[in-house]
Amino acid sequence: MPDKLEITNNIRTLRFFAHEMTQQELAEKAGVSRQTIIAVEAGKYSPSLELAFRIADAFGVPITEVFSYTK
Amino acid sequence: MSYQEKRTLMSIITSVLLMVSYSIYAFGKAGMEHINDLQFWAKTILIFIGIGIVVLIILQIVFHILMAISKAIRAKLSENEVDEEEIGRSMRVETTEDEMDKIIEMKSNKFGYTIMGLGFMAGLIAIAFGASAVAMLNILFFSTWTGSLIEALMQIRYYRKGIQ
Repeated sequence: MPDKLEITNNIRTLRFFAHEMTQQELAEKAGVSRQTIIAVEAGKYSPSLELAFRIADAFGVPITEVFSYTK
Repeated sequence: MSYQEKRTLMSIITSVLLMVSYSIYAFGKAGMEHINDLQFWAKTILIFIGIGIVVLIILQIVFHILMAISKAIRAKLSENEVDEEEIGRSMRVETTEDEMDKIIEMKSNKFGYTIMGLGFMAGLIAIAFGASAVAMLNILFFSTWTGSLIEALMQIRYYRKGIQ
């Protein structure tokens, strides 16, 4: 089995640069609960590809600017 | 604590209280008088399941109302005005069931089903060793309850620790 990838995200930084967008606002834009945004931001939950794209879309940036991984 | 965690915690407390009241009733005087009356036990279990469902639905509604009220009070205290639309939007964001909830539900269901399955096996073994049908019925009921309790506890654990 291949080694697990460590997925990190820049959601907190992107929220800051998006005029301090709140987690609730991001949750609304991505169509999920605030709890899910909190979990994704804290690295406790790796979102589906669809949600990852929706989060990136909420910031208007490519997905690679939101999520990155290390081997 | 998130909405989902509070809701799960509420269902745990409800089911524990119901099981305690079932145990007091069924293993008290009433149960001892009908120790081999399968019909009595089936009726008792059905009644308690019914009560459980009704109580849970009522509590969910009350919980939802209380949550909206607490949001309104908080808004009033911090901004001195209550924006109903904002509260509605905030409630929707808190209570939305999304992909993470579904994954957590699936993962914790696994534990619940395993315990229910083990309970079914325990019931069959009890019958095989000469226990009564009443004993099997109670083993099945308790294992179903334990399964759903573990399921709820696992849900809270996943919400707290996260899922990778």
